[in-house]
Amino acid sequence: MRSAYRILAIIIAIEVVIQAMMIVFAVAGLGHWVDGGGTLDKAAFESEDLSFTGVAGFMVHGINGMMIIPLLGLALLVVSFFAKVPGGVKLAAIVLGSIVVQVFAGILGHDAPYIGMIHGLNAFVLFSAAVYAARTARTAGVETPTTVAA
Amino acid sequence: MTEYVRAHLRQIVAIAATLVIVVPLAWMWQASRMPGSYSVMDMGYVDAGGGPVSGTGHHGDHAGTISVSDLVADTDRAADVVVELTATQGTVTLASGREVEGFTFNGTSPGPLIEATEGDLLEVRVHNEDVEDGISVHWHGVDVPNAEDGVAGVTQDAIGVGEDHVYRFVVDDPGSYWYHSHQMSHEQVIRGLFGPLVVKPAEPDSRVDVLAVTHTYNGTRTLNGEEGDVLVDASPGQVARVRVVNTDNGAVRVWSNAPYDVLAVDGRDVNEPSEVVGRRVAVPAGGRYDLEVEVPARIQIGGSTAIVLGEDPGPADEPGVDLDMLSYGQPATLPFDPTKPDRIFDYSMGRRPGFVDGKPGMWWSINGHLWPDVPMYLVDEGDVVLFRIENHSGEVHPMHLHGHHAVVISRDGEPATGSPWWVDSVDVENDETVEIAFVADNPGIWMDHCHNLKHAAQGLVAHLMYSGVTDPYRLGGDSGNEPE
Repeated sequence: MRSAYRILAIIIAIEVVIQAMMIVFAVAGLGHWVDGGGTLDKAAFESEDLSFTGVAGFMVHGINGMMIIPLLGLALLVVSFFAKVPGGVKLAAIVLGSIVVQVFAGILGHDAPYIGMIHGLNAFVLFSAAVYAARTARTAGVETPTTVAA
Repeated sequence: MTEYVRAHLRQIVAIAATLVIVVPLAWMWQASRMPGSYSVMDMGYVDAGGGPVSGTGHHGDHAGTISVSDLVADTDRAADVVVELTATQGTVTLASGREVEGFTFNGTSPGPLIEATEGDLLEVRVHNEDVEDGISVHWHGVDVPNAEDGVAGVTQDAIGVGEDHVYRFVVDDPGSYWYHSHQMSHEQVIRGLFGPLVVKPAEPDSRVDVLAVTHTYNGTRTLNGEEGDVLVDASPGQVARVRVVNTDNGAVRVWSNAPYDVLAVDGRDVNEPSEVVGRRVAVPAGGRYDLEVEVPARIQIGGSTAIVLGEDPGPADEPGVDLDMLSYGQPATLPFDPTKPDRIFDYSMGRRPGFVDGKPGMWWSINGHLWPDVPMYLVDEGDVVLFRIENHSGEVHPMHLHGHHAVVISRDGEPATGSPWWVDSVDVENDETVEIAFVADNPGIWMDHCHNLKHAAQGLVAHLMYSGVTDPYRLGGDSGNEPE
């Protein structure tokens, strides 16, 4: 269970990195497309086939952020109950909490762009918490090898 | 036993904590899954808006019930205009020459212009040649009898490959409208299964009539299928009526180098329009704005397409401010009293985590509930209805009510002071409240949904239901009907 905890925490940290890469990919692609004469307005943005290099970044960011990462966060919390990682439940709760903040800041940022800054900042909180959780699980594994209770 | 509990306390707590998280989630997941097919009548919960719930209502005796399929135009009357539409699937060549994968009516997209004169009975014979998922045709903005509304699974069954369906309705109100599929609409509309419908006034209009159907195909913005500037031959001094029809999922901004008047919105004339300078109009998804300009003029429709009337006057700078229809034109007496509504409904849109049909995500909510647990707004025929549409979802929603035109009463508490602003499609911005009112004068079961059709497919759909109306059709995977 401890390694499950560690692997989930690592996956969440990697997902945060993917999120950052995807959104910059999308925004850069959009900028490049506009540079080439593309025109963006609400109708274009909502058109299903808006086609520029990087458009997939928006989709991946949305699906990852609103579905996959929250589920990973929940899984980490559940696994933390069994993983016997010192402070593991608390760390998993922090990870999940920052995922919740991240989702809401991401959505609210559509209407209030300054909240987008919180979204960017909180990404580091989430990433650090996930890395710290993974590290704690690994260290715990080294210091106190798992003993099977009779 | 106590020994056992003590020894395994940690595991027991862990299992209990897991169950506390997993069981409600599993239950919510299971509860959200949709049956193979279901009736729209079984969706959600009845919201009577403070009015009576009984099937009989207070406007006389409606003891009997009537089926959606019987709510038709006068069957004895002959059609004044007959149109045939054939839907196909495949490669579409736009007027600009660009080829896209999608759908056509009569081989083109946009489909052919359907023209009729006010008072005509229009008969449209629709044939589905090879659109695999089936089709239907909704007459966006025309307040048709319910059976002709063209919503698969609500007012008819989807028209399968090789099948035919005839729509018959009287067009009473001159103006700009459009038609589009309401089967798998979030895919079929964006990929081309739509066309314009214009109802001419009985008294001929001397203006140059210009159609400007805006649509984004595969990321490319078009006007009537053309790209860039669309040139219209007209002589200086002539007056033109430009009918902007937004068939996309989001608003389009329209502005001009020349002063213009907004003659009509959503097929209803503006009372005493005045000249607009230094303002742009934002045409919501599904909405239509008719603008009057004097030639020569450039009507810019979004950044990349324009209608150029006569000699091109050159680029038009985009004004930074939208024209506010709330105060545009002159007030006029309404045909009903919106201050004494029989029913007041809240349509509050939000966004929250949950499951829709077993899929986890951040979903649109209506009054806090996720689809399909959405309100079924119940009215009696003759009711004056007030809708308070609120948006706290983080994104704009272009709200479209089928079968009725509503008048905008207020926005964020600010009352309308201009011409009666009649709409069938209206943008409700985030953290905004728009109040609209109408008379329930068209019995049936009517969709009331977001016309960002992806949002509708994600569950931002409710219905207006008249008491005493029953629905024989079914929705869902097994029925073949997927209106969104």
